Amino acid sequence: MASSNESMPEAPTGAARPFWTIARRDALAGWLFAAPQLAGTLVFVWLPLAMVFWFSLHEWNVLANTFNFTGLRNYQQLAADPSLPGVLLASALFSVGLVLFNLSLALLLAVLLNQRLAGTALFRTLFFSPVVVSLVAWTIVWGFLLQQDGGINGTLRLLGIEGPNWLRAPGTAMLSVIVVQVFKNVGLNMVLFLAALQGVPRELYEAARIDGASRLKQFRRITLPLISPTILLTSIITVVGSLQVFAQIAVLTQGGPGLSTTVLVYYLYQQSFQFHRFGYGSTLAIVLFAIVALLTLAQWRLRRMFVFHEQ
Amino acid sequence: MAAVQLSQVKKHFGAVQVIHGVELNIQDGEFVALVGPSGCGKSTLLRMIAGLETVTQGRIAIGARDVTDLDPKERDIAMVFQNYALYPHMTVAANMGFSLEHRGRPRPEIAERVRWAADILGLAQLLERYPRQLSGGQRQRVAMGRAIVRDPQVFLFDEPLSNLDAKLRIVMRGEIKALHQRLRTTTVYVTHDQVEAMTMADRIVVLNAGRIEQVGSPLELFDRPANQFVAGFIGSPAMNFIRGRCTPEGFAAGGIVLRAPEAAAHAGREAVCGIRPEHFERCGEGSGAPARVEVVEPLGSQTQLLLRLGDTPVVALFHERMAALPGDAMHLRPKAGAVHLFDASSGLRLDDVQAA
Amino acid sequence: MNSELAPRAKVALYGLICLLLIPFVFPTWWMVTSSLKPISDIFVFPPQLFPSHPDWSSYRQVFSIQPFAQQYWNSAWIAAVVTAGTLAIASMAGYAFARIRFPGADALFVVVLTGLLIPSEVTIVPLFRLFLMAGAINTHWPLVLIPMFGPPCVFATFVMRQFFVTLPRELEEAARVDGLGRFEIFRTIALPLARPALASVAIFTFLNSWNLYLEPIVFLSTPAKFTLPQALTQYTDAYGGPMWNIQLAAATLTALPVLIVFVLAQKQFVEGLAHSGLKG
Repeated sequence: MASSNESMPEAPTGAARPFWTIARRDALAGWLFAAPQLAGTLVFVWLPLAMVFWFSLHEWNVLANTFNFTGLRNYQQLAADPSLPGVLLASALFSVGLVLFNLSLALLLAVLLNQRLAGTALFRTLFFSPVVVSLVAWTIVWGFLLQQDGGINGTLRLLGIEGPNWLRAPGTAMLSVIVVQVFKNVGLNMVLFLAALQGVPRELYEAARIDGASRLKQFRRITLPLISPTILLTSIITVVGSLQVFAQIAVLTQGGPGLSTTVLVYYLYQQSFQFHRFGYGSTLAIVLFAIVALLTLAQWRLRRMFVFHEQ
Repeated sequence: MAAVQLSQVKKHFGAVQVIHGVELNIQDGEFVALVGPSGCGKSTLLRMIAGLETVTQGRIAIGARDVTDLDPKERDIAMVFQNYALYPHMTVAANMGFSLEHRGRPRPEIAERVRWAADILGLAQLLERYPRQLSGGQRQRVAMGRAIVRDPQVFLFDEPLSNLDAKLRIVMRGEIKALHQRLRTTTVYVTHDQVEAMTMADRIVVLNAGRIEQVGSPLELFDRPANQFVAGFIGSPAMNFIRGRCTPEGFAAGGIVLRAPEAAAHAGREAVCGIRPEHFERCGEGSGAPARVEVVEPLGSQTQLLLRLGDTPVVALFHERMAALPGDAMHLRPKAGAVHLFDASSGLRLDDVQAA
Repeated sequence: MNSELAPRAKVALYGLICLLLIPFVFPTWWMVTSSLKPISDIFVFPPQLFPSHPDWSSYRQVFSIQPFAQQYWNSAWIAAVVTAGTLAIASMAGYAFARIRFPGADALFVVVLTGLLIPSEVTIVPLFRLFLMAGAINTHWPLVLIPMFGPPCVFATFVMRQFFVTLPRELEEAARVDGLGRFEIFRTIALPLARPALASVAIFTFLNSWNLYLEPIVFLSTPAKFTLPQALTQYTDAYGGPMWNIQLAAATLTALPVLIVFVLAQKQFVEGLAHSGLKG
């Protein structure tokens, strides 16, 4: 072994290291970088959430300028609210209908576009276009088309069919809102599914063909498992999104006819901003939050069962 | 230019210790290669010298300065990464001048140094290109150019040739070595390829599981490996190992006896006999051991044979064209002085161990 | 998904796709053409695919009934500010969570992410109260601050983090060896390379802000301050019924710029989303 050159500067092992080590300086930088987002979330998400809890314990009428602590009375009112079961049912119907329709349509479209036909890029753009169109504009146009004597019924009349008053008849109102919302947003999920489909290695399908598997079987046993992470993610996003649909209902049906399209979010808005019962509205908000949290948790847990992980 | 000293350097990742007390002195201007199998800690050690990993215990000095707690930028080192790490959104010239520009050197000086480095590495025509327009070898040269432009005290190379194809690797090896001879900057070079280490380094450090197995010049490691690990790592094709026992008549293993006068001094000891494939010779029945040919691999001017010597499979390399067929029988013996003996349990070279 | 298809299957496929396209494309088409029809023609039967002659009077009325130009400008500048602010905040936070090791980073990221689960309708009442206390009702402050710091930005942070995770560490290490500090590495190396992710975040943030409906109708009461989505629904006649042709004209004006940009930059839109790391 060669002899050492200059002698080492005196420093016993375990000598006091400076406080601002590289690691510490970097950690500080990390905090500073994340600070705006953290502060923002604190002020605009978590603080309001805490306040909602607090408000739900009060009777608060802005017009009468009263703000009285009432404890759990709002929750008792909630339990006894005759409209609530209908509202929850409407919300459930809406979400379930929307998610099922949205995801299956998105998957169908993605599969169709994945067949590598000419013009796929154009089709993809066209299916995606409603996503970028202004929400209210899209809703207004559909509202227009869904009128008793609007474009849709006009076209049906050409075929000799007498269409219903889509937005005013109880059964079809809900359906109409679902359809409007799905066609607006399904392009997004379609693009995600398409990307996931294209991530499945072609060799897997070729090997399956050699093994004699039919197209359907390939889809069930290869495609679905391999895109299951994407399916899970989009379903979480779509479910959470479905519980937040507000503008469409406000523009198209205003919660009607009757209460058939009054989903929880719309009911909340009515109670808070039309009837000025902010305390009660906050109680409803807590319920909404709880539902979202539970559903997301449930879906996340389900991933162990249904989602395929490479690792 | 400066010496690099590692003093009782230890490294933990959480509860796992990956470097166990490394002690190393690298001379000013020396080209030292760190070799070892995957996971032996050579890259970690290099990154600790660079300052990209913290040192859990011990000190590192560059020149006369203790740099253990210093940021990479304060250590006056330059590093060439395995994946080149070129900034994709900058031209070759911008990549090479980046660090100087950041230190606020005047434009003309930067341009001049970049040109100087580019000339040495043959990059003068590529200065305005972007990394994505370059081949693998060109990118590697740009990465080296970025390092030499700084004129640092130490160059650190982290497996720079691993991503190149075999032919290009040979060419680049020569270029790196020529560069070192020209600039004489202290260089620490990490590789898993012992051929690279042998051809380029002044000294080689063989690492295994976070410990230094041996440090020495290439030929020292080749001729006198300190233990079985180094013996099997250095040299290609790898050394053959035969388990058996030392006897006064030679080395006995699986029913055969190999001529090995060195064994007499350790008679009675269980040992492992190491013989390099190129150190076998054919002989008559008297002085050799019987072997049966299993596979013949003609290499043109050489012939490599896989044989069974006693009950041990061995590889023998002959620098001639041989007319051998699978199933042939022949007698082999090690060339004089070509036998390495290692203790069966510790793997240490028997010469360094007390004779039995 | 599979190899070559029989010609008959191809035709069937094209037919199916074209059929499915109708509900996606027809409304937009109907919106534009109907806005050019006189009101009497809009509900005529049989429905006309093209206006018999383009009638621009609806468009004139759009601007005369409401301060539409002002409202347009409101939507535009708010969206621009929100996008710029979100890009800055989200890229920095996303980078920190992806690349910098600091205590509590993982837990904090989860905490930040759960902000995505909280619908804006849940927090709108307290936010109203907060802005009321700050005297900022009927101003544009809530419309700028809430999206810029709240759930939309959280989504942006997520996307940026997913992107920065894929950045090769060696680039940053080389920059460290070259002498750059953390912020400089972010500014000169990470950000320039993040253009695709930044583009898709910008697009979605802009769209989201452009389409905000709940916040404007909660916070704004002066028509001159309205944003477009809010303004669109205000074109009602004396009985409260919508004036369809005018509404459609306003809707066209709202949707058209975005559509044009989309058609020109469709690749970036769609590709940016696909590669935003949402694949899971």
